[in-house]
Amino acid sequence: MEKGQLTPEEKSLLDSMEEAIIALDESQAVAVAEKVLSSGIDPKAAIRYAIANAAVAVGEKFEAGEYFLPQLVISGDLMDVVTKILERNIPQTETEKKKIIVIGTVQGDVHSIGKNIVATMLKSVGFHVVDLGVDVTSATFIEKAKDLKADMIALSSLLTTTMPYQKEVIDDLVSMGLRDRFKVMIGGGPVTKAYADTIRADGYGRDAIEAVEDAKRLLLAEG
Amino acid sequence: MIPLVEIAERIQTGEKIEDKKWDKMFYENISRLAKKYGIVHPPQQSYINMDDDMVERAYEAAVEFLETMGLYCLTTRRRVALTRPEILTAIREAPTEILMGTERDRRVWKQRKIEGREKLNICPGHHAPFSEDLAGLVVCNFAQIPRTDFIEGFNFTHIDGREIIGPPLEIYASRRQIHWMREGVRKAGRPGLAVVYYPINTRAEDLIGVMDPEHGLRRTDGILLSLLPDLKMEEDMLSAAIVYDEYGSFKLSGSFAIIGGFCGGIEGAIIEGITKPIAATIAYRDTIHYTGVEHLHMLNGRQILVPHVNWARSVVNQALNRFTHTICMRWVIPTSGPGTDLCLWEVAMQSVEAPINGMNLYAPRHCRTTMNHGQTPLEAEWMIEVSDAVIEQGLDRQAGNELLGRISARFENQKPAAGQDIGECYDLVHHQPKEAYRESYDRVKAALRELGLTKLIQ
Repeated sequence: MEKGQLTPEEKSLLDSMEEAIIALDESQAVAVAEKVLSSGIDPKAAIRYAIANAAVAVGEKFEAGEYFLPQLVISGDLMDVVTKILERNIPQTETEKKKIIVIGTVQGDVHSIGKNIVATMLKSVGFHVVDLGVDVTSATFIEKAKDLKADMIALSSLLTTTMPYQKEVIDDLVSMGLRDRFKVMIGGGPVTKAYADTIRADGYGRDAIEAVEDAKRLLLAEG
Repeated sequence: MIPLVEIAERIQTGEKIEDKKWDKMFYENISRLAKKYGIVHPPQQSYINMDDDMVERAYEAAVEFLETMGLYCLTTRRRVALTRPEILTAIREAPTEILMGTERDRRVWKQRKIEGREKLNICPGHHAPFSEDLAGLVVCNFAQIPRTDFIEGFNFTHIDGREIIGPPLEIYASRRQIHWMREGVRKAGRPGLAVVYYPINTRAEDLIGVMDPEHGLRRTDGILLSLLPDLKMEEDMLSAAIVYDEYGSFKLSGSFAIIGGFCGGIEGAIIEGITKPIAATIAYRDTIHYTGVEHLHMLNGRQILVPHVNWARSVVNQALNRFTHTICMRWVIPTSGPGTDLCLWEVAMQSVEAPINGMNLYAPRHCRTTMNHGQTPLEAEWMIEVSDAVIEQGLDRQAGNELLGRISARFENQKPAAGQDIGECYDLVHHQPKEAYRESYDRVKAALRELGLTKLIQ
């Protein structure tokens, strides 16, 4: 079903759900999601349009400096709540499998603000993000990515002396014969595109906005 | 003040909290207090705060915030609870002056006054990456600037041609950093000048391994032990703080708040910006702080200016100067790289702000610096010149605000300029900018005089 095929009432309902998410109004978003569920609108289409549009709008507000990390976290949680409501009418076999990203700050580094923003923005645009926290070893990244059948490993580093641990993860993946199983994206204050190319990372984000774009390019473009 | 060993005990015995819960509590409480104390940007105020009542409310909000939250130890996942009397005692007992360096290079760093008329204390450079072939020469150039009070170290990726990875190489590289610093200041004829260790990693062994009264970090030198955003502290930093407290070195902290993080917008950032240096004083006994408010888009080099950020920074520093003993520094962080007019304009703007808000000046450096691309001595000399002219001219908050408005008009529709490597725009052998950068400097200086900073010496 395309959005253009919706009746004006259905379109209005999806618009108000989208607006409630963007406004971070949980009670309104939940109430409208329940109405969407009982209205007979295809819940998969509702997720695809209303939630995806809300995610884009929230990202734009972050880029414009209207929303900040707390709003990203709240909107991400709200999208989860609304999605779970809508998924009640979707047989489990038909639920859309989200691409999985394992993210963390590499070994020896405890800086988290950039990683937190990237993780939250990735989540808000529809990825299933597993945040392993800070000071994460290469073995932990790889183990978790294998366990979760992840699509991407995202590595953050704020220190020049911990950038080599980004390379270590890639080297370990190569030596374990797993390099082709996961896309690897890197970022962080001192990290450059040239460094990403040197260590043969698949993706790079100068900041959270670029990181999300690169993750979409790497994981969604291939279908 | 609460003994550091008491903090050491509390990080092991305090309430266990997951970091995600802490983050949630952080923004819920900061948002609530911003509303309770009416922290909002007033109309018609652009760059410098003129509302003294706002400053007082912001300070009260910050103390209540610290009392509500305490500190969070990222390593042990425990909350360090703080009482109001403990916080107020820490504020009262923090020093307003710090002695550093030895013999004729001995200096006193002081807390400044809002619109103060004394010349600023100066750290001219580093906190940026330089390659090992340039290290000694770069240090020597910054030490040659007569107003230099101390120089901070730098980071690098290779040592003796090897990539730095793992604690043994980190410790070795850390010690080399300080050796280069010592050698550089000696070559500049200033052997007693204080140097500050810039941690290339935050492990305790890296922080403590540089201590060496003969060839490394002396008791009269300093170390950067920063609190993380969102009032998060680390066990290794506290270990180092305890050791350095006995050793006698002074301690610096990166104590600004970042708009866009868990503090939210400018209102929350103002509260965190005031809270953080007080918290760093309690957590690590830091005494000199680079303070204020920055925006993620500016730190990432997306935008030269974001509305109201300068005003928020002004509120924070005025509050710290009026109600605490915090020795504030302005970390000058242009979004444009060295070798460009825009870089010099951005440095000028931040150097006008500093003396009016009561801040000293610290290490101008490109916001997203890469190897050998972050700074040259010219930006440091320029920031000194500009701040001296502001003081000489007696600019008050109103006049400063007007001048900053005229400067910021230069940035309209401009994107940050990439800039050049130090070797491309600066002659380190002769301690002077290369011709094109010299022309930039002359051009910007003449234009700034025309905009109203008439006390700039021609």
